[in-house]
Amino acid sequence: MSPLYAEKFRIPKHLEIADGAVVPSPVGEQPMMKTGNWRIERPVIDHEKCTTCLNCFIFCPDGCWHLDPKSEKMVWDAIYCKGCRICVEECPADALRLENELNFKGGVARLDKPY
Amino acid sequence: MADVFEITIWCRGVTQDMEGRHLSLVLANGAAKGGKFVQAWDNYADLPDRVQVPLRKYDRISDEEIEMRYLYENDHPQLVLVMDDTIIKGIDILRGMPKGGALVVNTKRSADEILSLIPNKDLLSSLTLVDATGIAGGTGLESVDFMGSEGGVEAVSVAVGLAAPLAGAASKVCDKFTLDNLVASAANKAGVKEGAKTAVVKTL
Ligand code: SF4
Ligand code: SF4
Repeated sequence: MSPLYAEKFRIPKHLEIADGAVVPSPVGEQPMMKTGNWRIERPVIDHEKCTTCLNCFIFCPDGCWHLDPKSEKMVWDAIYCKGCRICVEECPADALRLENELNFKGGVARLDKPY
Repeated sequence: MADVFEITIWCRGVTQDMEGRHLSLVLANGAAKGGKFVQAWDNYADLPDRVQVPLRKYDRISDEEIEMRYLYENDHPQLVLVMDDTIIKGIDILRGMPKGGALVVNTKRSADEILSLIPNKDLLSSLTLVDATGIAGGTGLESVDFMGSEGGVEAVSVAVGLAAPLAGAASKVCDKFTLDNLVASAANKAGVKEGAKTAVVKTL
């Protein structure tokens, strides 16, 4: 807390804390929070219909869609997609559909515990 | 200490939370009626308020008083019940099971297909498959709907018990909803009507 605020709010010296703290930003995947096993259904993309509008990238709460610059196609993350269906709702090109997870062999990290 | 038979139930957060709890309770109550000592409880560490998260419920059943009081997970389940077959793909549901255990799964799929998802299937002495969703006439999401958002929108089978007559009573003093629409929204329609009919409103 800055001295100004400390004075304003009469915070005793020994209770003052710093204005903020520097924490490392999570860049990349969270190995401790793999949410792929929440999924009952997964979004399946039809690249013919996809216009790469990036709506799915913007709306996915878990950052599970990105545009691959080489192929210029949307790429999906099976380990973290929790099957919330938001991307399917938000795709304006009807390029995403849902399919039951057990119709696919791989794609889920097998965990001992929920986390 | 007497032998304690451990049961673990796996279900999905929010959408099957209540059903999972009911399953653990009905099994415990059933065993208690047969003279057994029982415990039934929810998992504290899982996240029941997050939609679809794999979630555990537990039972313990014994011929003698159960002394395990402060252990909140079943480390050695001899019976595992799974409410949604997709859970098997992402979780080691047999973790800690002693050899010779039993697995019961709600699924429409074949035994071979389910077994192919379980690397440690040699622990099992039996696999039981039942289309519980079909029998219950559900959607697979049982007691609540799921509307494609972080939070589930509960629309199916809401207001079964106490909520029904209280909703009916509320309609007498609040014009934000009509009784007809509450009846249409509730699973226990008679309960809503009865609540509205019998509620006593005293104007102050
Ligand atoms: S929202 Fe649909 S059309 Fe847009 S990039 Fe995603 S999949 Fe393609
Ligand atoms: S289903 Fe949900 S978590 Fe999965 S990719 Fe779509 S928006 Fe992301």
